[in-house]
Amino acid sequence: MAAWPHWLPLVVFAPLLGAVLTPIVSLRSRHVAPWWALAVMSVTSVAALFLVLRVASEGPFSYLPGGWQPPYGIELRFDEFSAVISVICLIGWLAVLYSLRYIEWLREVPKERIPYYYALLLLNLGGMIGFVVTGDLFNLFVFLEILSLSAYALVAFSGEHIAEMAAFKYLLMGAISSLLVLFSVGIIFGITGSLNMADVATRIGQLDSAAPAALALAMLAIGFMVKAALFPVHIWLPDAHAIAPSPISAVLSGLVVKVGIIGLIRVYQIYYTSGVLDLHTLNQVLVWLGAISIVMGAFFAIFQDDIKLMLAYSTISNVGYIVMGLGLSTNFSVIGGSVHVFNHALIKATLFLAAGALIYRTGYRTLTDLRGIGRSMPLTCIAISIGAISIVGIPPTAGFLCKWYIALGAFEADQPFFGFALIFGALFIFIYYIRMVNAFYFQAPVHPEILEVTEAPLSMLAPTLFLASLCLIMGILGRIPLAFIEPAAARLLAPLGG
Amino acid sequence: MLEALWNNVDYIASVVLFCIGLYIIIAKNNLIKKFLGLNIMETAVFSFIIALGVIDGGDAPIMGAGAQAPFSSPVPQALVLTGIVVAVSTTALALSLIIRIYRQCGTIEADELREME
Repeated sequence: MAAWPHWLPLVVFAPLLGAVLTPIVSLRSRHVAPWWALAVMSVTSVAALFLVLRVASEGPFSYLPGGWQPPYGIELRFDEFSAVISVICLIGWLAVLYSLRYIEWLREVPKERIPYYYALLLLNLGGMIGFVVTGDLFNLFVFLEILSLSAYALVAFSGEHIAEMAAFKYLLMGAISSLLVLFSVGIIFGITGSLNMADVATRIGQLDSAAPAALALAMLAIGFMVKAALFPVHIWLPDAHAIAPSPISAVLSGLVVKVGIIGLIRVYQIYYTSGVLDLHTLNQVLVWLGAISIVMGAFFAIFQDDIKLMLAYSTISNVGYIVMGLGLSTNFSVIGGSVHVFNHALIKATLFLAAGALIYRTGYRTLTDLRGIGRSMPLTCIAISIGAISIVGIPPTAGFLCKWYIALGAFEADQPFFGFALIFGALFIFIYYIRMVNAFYFQAPVHPEILEVTEAPLSMLAPTLFLASLCLIMGILGRIPLAFIEPAAARLLAPLGG
Repeated sequence: MLEALWNNVDYIASVVLFCIGLYIIIAKNNLIKKFLGLNIMETAVFSFIIALGVIDGGDAPIMGAGAQAPFSSPVPQALVLTGIVVAVSTTALALSLIIRIYRQCGTIEADELREME
């Protein structure tokens, strides 16, 4: 089964086709929509599972739609970094399940519009899956736009009064970054005459002048930095992620920002292989911006009272960790950074889903209002605590291994300063999660009725607890993802002679 | 130097347009104007990509009687066609967001909206 060649196109087109069909299948009754989305995501997850098994056993492979050979035809390429589709499918599936009750509960959302919510969510997941498995630069742009446009619309979906404003801010920044990406795809096509990534990598190496390639590199890097919400261009993120409905916050914070990271990895794959440019400068820029993001994101998070806003700022600081890992470009740091793409997705989804459950039951979203909730919703608060411990990076949870590897990478690269920045950032993160745990368990409630609420319904509690247990399991079995990503990291850095 | 500039005037024009669009997004206060800036940037990128495929005296690459090299590259046109579709959907989404912002806040000036938050 695992060797059936058509799983790769299926995993891209099932969610996209499912999204288009969602409004049609739910014409009779809008209650069909979530079950349809769940079914589509189940098919996609099965396909993703087979793909990941195959890449683990035989390494990267390609699929040529229509049988046209690249560089003339387009190519779908599945390597170890593409295995991130496993998390996309998992979190997507759980987010759909979670939305079942959550979206019905949002008063501002007209009931007849709910099928469109599921259509947009499937479109977003399909765009992300397409983005990580495509081997073609222009398709990279197209999938980037599919997932970004659906993300803007989903942010506006919650109907809260500044939701549209947050979505518009997100749209402006996102559209500019997409245009930068398209511009540099144009430049690369102009200088190489090819759009296939592997082909581009060889052809860029044969150019006489490196200047246009350097311009394209700079614009691609800036474009993907905006998508990943790195420090100076992060301003769209906090509002958008905090305002969106909670399952969407989990998808946006866990997955959509990672698209920028995967984009950066693809750029590195092209430019490292071609060897035309010395990427030392870009690496230094990424390491510094990563370090600043870690500290600033964590610093701003300390002052937030709104629980979702706090989590959104913490995403900025975690993206900083990943980008710093990539920028240090040693074996350890790249492995740590890539695994943190997976692990942070799990951790942040846990936290946002649990925060959503608290908001769903109490209607409050600030730490002050939520004081004492640990007594009435113990399971949800345990999930939050596990997520908090993981994100600080205390062993034996999922966050520890990645941060340990990135710190090792900093010392290996002989830049111990960044290792200290990392530990300093972890300390800040520790402060604000301690604040959260303190408010939930040890402070007297501001609103006495908070002690009366019960746990969230099973369709919301089960995904949260499942993800929380995965945070622990991924920490204990951390050796597996590290070993899985190692060949890809080695291949990425091989042209450096490292 | 001048010769080189003149030969690449189409690329320079699109870069200038791109910068004008970016300036409008940053400097203008009205959301619709900001969005028009974005549309100008899109047009700049599209014209840049179209200009890539053009060859002086190039023919449409359609085989058959009378087909004669050199041909213009058809790939950039296919790319831009897709790009235009994306631009149209961005425009539709942004305008609908602006309408909803206006209905809720009664203004689409960025500074007044910031005060309301």
